Amino acid sequence: MDINPGVRIGPFEVFLPLRGPTSSLKAREPREYPGRLFIVEGIDGSGKSTQLSLLHKWLEAKGYGVVFSEWNSSPLVKDTTKLGKKKKMLTPATFSLIHSTDFADRTERSILPLLNAGAIVLCDRYVYTAFARDVARGMDREWVRSLYGFAAKPTIAFYFRVPLETAISRLVGARDGFKYYEAGMDLELSDDPEESFRLFQGRIIEEYEKMIPEFGLTVIDATQPVETQQAHVRHLVRSHLDEAKHLRVRP
Amino acid sequence: MRQTYGKLLPGIKLSDLAGKLIVIEGTDGAGRTTQINLLKPWLEELGHAVLDTGMTRSPLAGEGIRRAKEGNNLGRVTQSLFYATDFVDRLENEIVPALRAGFIVLTDRYIYSLMARAMVRGMDGDWIRNIFGVALKPDAVFYMRIGINELLPRVIFSRGFDYWESGMDLFPGHNMYDSFCSYQAALLAEFDRLSTEYGFEVVDAVADVRTVFAQLKVKVLRVLERDTREEFVARQLAEVPDWSSRRKEPIPTSAAD
Repeated sequence: MDINPGVRIGPFEVFLPLRGPTSSLKAREPREYPGRLFIVEGIDGSGKSTQLSLLHKWLEAKGYGVVFSEWNSSPLVKDTTKLGKKKKMLTPATFSLIHSTDFADRTERSILPLLNAGAIVLCDRYVYTAFARDVARGMDREWVRSLYGFAAKPTIAFYFRVPLETAISRLVGARDGFKYYEAGMDLELSDDPEESFRLFQGRIIEEYEKMIPEFGLTVIDATQPVETQQAHVRHLVRSHLDEAKHLRVRP
Repeated sequence: MRQTYGKLLPGIKLSDLAGKLIVIEGTDGAGRTTQINLLKPWLEELGHAVLDTGMTRSPLAGEGIRRAKEGNNLGRVTQSLFYATDFVDRLENEIVPALRAGFIVLTDRYIYSLMARAMVRGMDGDWIRNIFGVALKPDAVFYMRIGINELLPRVIFSRGFDYWESGMDLFPGHNMYDSFCSYQAALLAEFDRLSTEYGFEVVDAVADVRTVFAQLKVKVLRVLERDTREEFVARQLAEVPDWSSRRKEPIPTSAAD
């Protein structure tokens, strides 16, 4: 593990998964932490959050110590992201960097320590969201992958695949309009928010599709009934729980 | 033409960036800010438009970083990325537009301080170099070099020890003096290494303010002269008659007269 040829002082240990760019994400060796990391990915309206919350309830009911971490939720960073979005100050580069800062704080403060403690960590969106969005915004593919080189490799990364039109029909009416950055309005693809959303999310789907073989994402057909999808998810998760530590939160 | 350290950010056209990018680097207490405050009015008096910028001054991330540092619970990776966000916000919204307008940009620290801080915290060298690969290569980096022994009295008798400047996140439990010495020594060693890697021009920062300023003026003028000389040469070349077309004309000979 070659960290850097620079000066080493003091007794501090090197932050664990920082090795070459994305080496830990593409690593084939078994996980280095006793916990389990299950993450969900997919475009808005794919139903991934619903599936994750059902998985969460099931794992808790089985007595596992489960912790949930959401994209863009670091208490240290989220105000800055909010400011940047509200004032439309974010460029593709700063959009990418502020989200990686948020993710770094959650990784350092909770995800890694929890995985080391043997917990089951559930993440709604993970580094693949950044890979898809930032590249769709014109950032360099390798640059973004290297940026997230410190991330822990998930036990399973689920990708909820859904046709764009299905996702849009789920979103229309479910919220008041399309948000500026979610619709990729900063890219000036179209003045119409729905059309911009369609074009931007289309690019994101293309990126997700490329990542399936690259990172070994597990594809779930998100057009199927909720129950069918959940049964599939639970079946796949179950096989990774055999030696998992039961951190009972409730007696 | 101007270059980056590897990757070009979307929306930046390198050939548009006519100004000069001058970096003043050095550890805490080396006197960078004092010198920039002298250089800026001097350059303006000479008729140059000057933009000065420095760490955590971005409208996007400056405040967020200050708030995060108050809690003393900012992790190493998070810290590096938060500063990178601040840097890129200033790069895109201040430095690049100023260079486009032909300004001299004086920057108090640049990517090198951020790299040094990340490296002494054990970050992967390739990881940090990749992030700052989007930075523009400056026209000059003046590294104000000062040893730990000269630095100590400046810090002790001015503002005292600061949690982050003392690297207390690296040495929890140490007293601030010991931590300061170990941390700053490591930073200095890292700067020396970066100095070779990136070709810094070293300025002896131990000397008094006027002496350092005089040295910096000479160095800055050299950067600006380099520019006018290049322009001069370019003008001369442009005025050179096109010999290839002339050759087709009959060559006058004295014999014909």
